[in-house]
Amino acid sequence: MTDPVTDPVTDLVLLLLTAFAVWTGWRVFRVDSMVRASFSLMLSFMAVGAIGLLLSAPYIGIATVFMMAVEMMVMAIFMVMFMMNPAGLNPMMMVHQHGVSIAAGLAAFLGLGTAILLSAPPSDPVPPQARVVAQLGHELLGPSMLIFETAGVTLLATMVGAVILSSRQGRHGAADEGSRPPGLTAGGAPAGRTPGEEGGPGHHHHHGGHG
Amino acid sequence: MTGLLVLAVLATLLAGACFAVLLDRAQPALVAEFFRARVETEAPDRLNRDLAPAWYLALAAIGLSVVPFAPGLALIDSPAGIVIWGSCEALIVVTIFLHGWAPNAPFPLIGAYRYAALALPVMLPSMFVLIAAALPAESLSLVAIVDSQREIWNVIRQPLGLPLFLVVALALTLRGPMDYADGADIATGTSAEESGAARATWYLARAAMLVSVSALAATVFLGGPLGPLLPGPVWLWLKTAALMALTAWLGNHVARPPPGRMLTLLWILLLPLSFLHLAISGVLAL
Repeated sequence: MTDPVTDPVTDLVLLLLTAFAVWTGWRVFRVDSMVRASFSLMLSFMAVGAIGLLLSAPYIGIATVFMMAVEMMVMAIFMVMFMMNPAGLNPMMMVHQHGVSIAAGLAAFLGLGTAILLSAPPSDPVPPQARVVAQLGHELLGPSMLIFETAGVTLLATMVGAVILSSRQGRHGAADEGSRPPGLTAGGAPAGRTPGEEGGPGHHHHHGGHG
Repeated sequence: MTGLLVLAVLATLLAGACFAVLLDRAQPALVAEFFRARVETEAPDRLNRDLAPAWYLALAAIGLSVVPFAPGLALIDSPAGIVIWGSCEALIVVTIFLHGWAPNAPFPLIGAYRYAALALPVMLPSMFVLIAAALPAESLSLVAIVDSQREIWNVIRQPLGLPLFLVVALALTLRGPMDYADGADIATGTSAEESGAARATWYLARAAMLVSVSALAATVFLGGPLGPLLPGPVWLWLKTAALMALTAWLGNHVARPPPGRMLTLLWILLLPLSFLHLAISGVLAL
């Protein structure tokens, strides 16, 4: 087996994967559809996961593919839900705040580029017989247990909080009770049915109060 | 040896897909479908519409290639083999969603969203069941999971595992109670606007996926290639065929609840059950 550090095939694959990750990342802003943007981003992350495989981190590389596929699926659903573009196929503008985003992109590129050029990257080849997945497991559930668990519990609390905030039912009645949709014109009458109207979705007969 | 394993994966996929078509008694309809004209929808996403069946088929092949055909012998012998399968599962959901989203038509889109909403909670029990099977083996490698079943198969040691995984198998192959993507109630859902060779390929990919998911279940719960007298691959094929028949039978005989009720079942019943399964398996593996 050739030394993976100087193997030209590995270098070529790495370059191709990097180019693919950058290209699909750029496509996210050019495809004019939330679903296409989500899955372009997924492809970009999958290329990064494949680079993880090249760096002898099989678990992290494959888990990246798994996490990103699930995450982008969820993101596509929620993006389309919130973007009022039911199919996600209607053209829409994917970029805004041009000045700020160009400045932020340039600053990040120059900063990271300088950091890479000025630092000496380590050359630390992984021995082929190293049990990298087991080592990662021991690290995550050993010295890094506190960080790992803190991040996990924080994420869980965030998810539970988001579900509670977006849920219609609550201790004080339905969340949309008394809410009025915005008018179709500025200062106009609310869109949709008015609460007093017969058979409206917001129309409720009086239910017994709690306790 | 690699060439032989590639051949074994492809032959298993082909023969298994033929067996799945026979199980469904779908061969005349399938042959006729190849000669039908193609239907066009308005402003579709052509890339995803044309490639979704191919991705489904490719994911079935990748999923099968982590399965050991003999003890210690798999095409992709990765220390994280079970995570590769998990990635395939997640990408299958994406593929089926894109298959319904790409035609830009109502029924396929309803099928796509309905399926995505129901298949994502199915991923969770799937992961817990597979992690539970990795516990006695103390490894995420499928080769090690087969080796850990030399004394006793996981189907006996972890009795909840196979029933829970069969729900996953039904969801990944769009069958019976879990067929929320291509169900008859929404005019075959994601396939509603599809005709001709594309529709036939989609069906064949579903058949290939049945082979792949059954082979994985046979490996994780029934000892895979382990068995007396007969060589390893034959045992794997027999177990895979039995699980394919069981999954097809379940698909034909279990009713499909409305999506809302199924969502409740998945989150309220199946997820806690898989937690319980993982906890019991963890205590037993200590």
